[in-house]
Parts: sequence; structure tokens; C-alpha cells
Amino acid sequence: MKITEQITDNITIINLDGRLDAHTCESVEAFFREKMENGQYKFVMNMENVEFIDSAGLRVVLVVARDLRNKHKGDLHFALLQPAVSRVFEISGLNNVLYIYNNSENAVQGFSS
Amino acid sequence: MQIKFWGARGSIATPLTNTELTAKIQAAVKRSINVELSTDKKVSEFVKNLPVHIRQTVGGETACIEIRTDRCLLILDAGTGIRRLGMDLLDRFAGQPIDAHILMTHTHWDHISGIPFFVPGMNPDNHFTFYSPFDDLKERLKLQQRYEYFPAPLPATYKFVRLKEQKTLKIGDLSIQTLPLNHPSGSYSYRIDSNDTSVVYATDSEYQNLSVESMKPFIDFFQNAELLIFDAQYTMLENIEKENWGHSNVFTGIDMALKAGVKKLAFIHHEPAYDDEKLWDILQKAREYLKINKPESKLELDLAVEGLTITL
Repeated sequence: MKITEQITDNITIINLDGRLDAHTCESVEAFFREKMENGQYKFVMNMENVEFIDSAGLRVVLVVARDLRNKHKGDLHFALLQPAVSRVFEISGLNNVLYIYNNSENAVQGFSS
Repeated sequence: MQIKFWGARGSIATPLTNTELTAKIQAAVKRSINVELSTDKKVSEFVKNLPVHIRQTVGGETACIEIRTDRCLLILDAGTGIRRLGMDLLDRFAGQPIDAHILMTHTHWDHISGIPFFVPGMNPDNHFTFYSPFDDLKERLKLQQRYEYFPAPLPATYKFVRLKEQKTLKIGDLSIQTLPLNHPSGSYSYRIDSNDTSVVYATDSEYQNLSVESMKPFIDFFQNAELLIFDAQYTMLENIEKENWGHSNVFTGIDMALKAGVKKLAFIHHEPAYDDEKLWDILQKAREYLKINKPESKLELDLAVEGLTITL
């Protein structure tokens, strides 16, 4: 899993490239935990290059989003879900509790609305 | 090896309500309008083709599974489902002594509350041996039948064997191993191997760290099981909301089964708040998840339903 980031208007955009699964969930969560320790609480996860997510990946995004909301008044928004990942979000009910946008710009703007 | 589910509900017995029964009848009658049903055969065919959540129920009895081989009778857990199993055993054995081995995952109510109503246990000619890694299982079960709670004590003829983790227990033609699970006050999984097949019963367990390394002990234990019976009480979201409540979900079950090379996966410990329609919808979603993430997989998914028999 390749992770890169950029900060726009105090919002950190995380670009993931690879599978979000049992092999990568720990490194993705550790990445977020480190950012949270540094005071970053608003994130957009760009999922354009994530074509696979399993239960380990679903759990990590839910736990991170929960902690950002409950402990830091922050959030984790999603952009550019690929069709398979989008359907897994729907099946598992994540689309009911997470904010999902069709591009990163809208996901960033979502924090001001 | 034959596996029969006598109880599959989690937490508390959940009988079908009159409202739910009426809704099933109404849904069936609605579908029958303009259908020609003039013979018994046509009626049977019509019923057979109704959606499964209308023509069946998952059932409300709590955990109890019977495993039969040519030489052994095993019972997994003694929730309310064991009462009906007891009546069935009396019929089947027709006065001949019954010898059964009862493996207990833990002693939460939904796994023990059928014991006082297990009629064959009251006959001293029958032999029942309870197994678990808990060193005080007998005391726990005796407590359940103190006079304040039940008029008859735990039968003195019951035998108790404490299992040691990482040691294999041999009963007849079966080898049995146990593994601790993550559940409030503890629960244990059982792996039962015969010469030609294997079943793993892993109920009442939560998996919080789903990384490859953390899951390895469970994947190793489940390895190549013909059937994995897996706790899927919660949805994915509930698993986060109810952290440390000690249960899991269908998606985690599928991923673990795939990694372990399991052939059949049966979801159990159904949430008492969920009706039949919801539970079969969860199964449909589980099947779609498998199709999306591993389209070439031959893993079979099913709900553990009261009365379901699986032959391995």
C-alpha cells in the first residue's frame, strides 16, 4: 500500500494506492494515528487507486472515522470510490454513516457545509 | 458426520411472535392471488417457491448443535435448543441408554439455560460428560440449578472433564482441539476432526485486530475445515458500536474462511432483534460480498437455521 498526503485548507488528503485489506490495515491505521497525534483531525481519503477492500479495511476506516468524530470533532471523508469498493461500502452499510463524494474537491468542501 | 442445529439464536431465546407469523401468512397469501392452487401438489410447489424468509424461520432457540458419527454423539453447547434435542434423543434411543459428550464454549446464559430442561439427563441410566477448559464448570452449572432458580439440582450423574488447551481430546473416532476466543469472561472454539472431515465451532468471539499476524492463530485453527460455524451476530457497523461485546459479523467470517481454505461457512448466534427477513438479507449481502471480492471462490455460505442438517 502506497500512501501519500497533501494538506489543503487544514484538511489532509490521503491518497491510497493498493489493496486495503488484512495485509495493509495496520499500516493505514498507524498512519492515521500518527497524524492524529500531530493534531490533524480532518481527512479526505482519495480512493481512486483502491480497487479492493475487505473486512479488515472496512473496520479500519470505521474505527478511524469514529475516533476522529468522538474524540477530536474531526472526520474522515471519502472520494472517488471505485465500483467494487463502492458496492462493498453499500453492502456493509458504511455508506449510511460515512460521507462519500465523487471527487476530492467536493470531499474537502464537505467539511465547510 | 451429521451436524444438526437445534438452536442458533444469540443472547436470548426469541420465539416467533404472532405479529411476525401473521406477516408471513399475509405475504404468502398476497403472492397466491391469481395462482392456481387446486391440488396439494400445487400448494406444496407454491410454498416451496416462496422467498425463504416467508416460508421458514431461523428459529428462536439458543445455541445447541448435535454432531453424530457412527461411533459418537457430541453436543455443542446447551442453550435452550437442547430441550428439543433431549426429547428427540428419547424418541431415537427408545429406552436404550444414551451416551453423549457435551462440549461447552462458555457459560453465558444463552449457552447453558437448556440444561435444567434436558430430560434425558434426569435418567441415571444415561451418560452425559461435559467438557470445557474452565476449571469450575460443574460449580457454575450447579449454581444455575440452585433451589432458588430451579426446583431440581444438577443431576449427580453428570461427569465433568476439564480440557487443556493445545492438547487433543479423543472421543471415539473424533479428535477434538480447543482454542480461546475473545469474549467477555472467555469463550472457547472447538475443532472436531474425524478421519475424513472436520468442523470448527467458533461462536461468541470478537476480532478487533484483523491484520494477518493477529489473525494467524485463528486461521491456523480453522485451516481446511469442511465446515466453519461462525458467530455473526452483528452487522459491520454494530461491531464498531458494540466494541468489546464479544461478537463478529459475516464479512470477517468470510475473509477468515477464505484465508483458512474452509469449504462451508455457517453463520450462527443470530441477533435477537433481527427478524427472518433481516437475517436472510444479511446472508444475501454476505454472498454478494464474496462474489465481489473473490468471484472464483467455491466457499458455500449459509445461515445456521433451527433444524438444518449438514452431512459432511
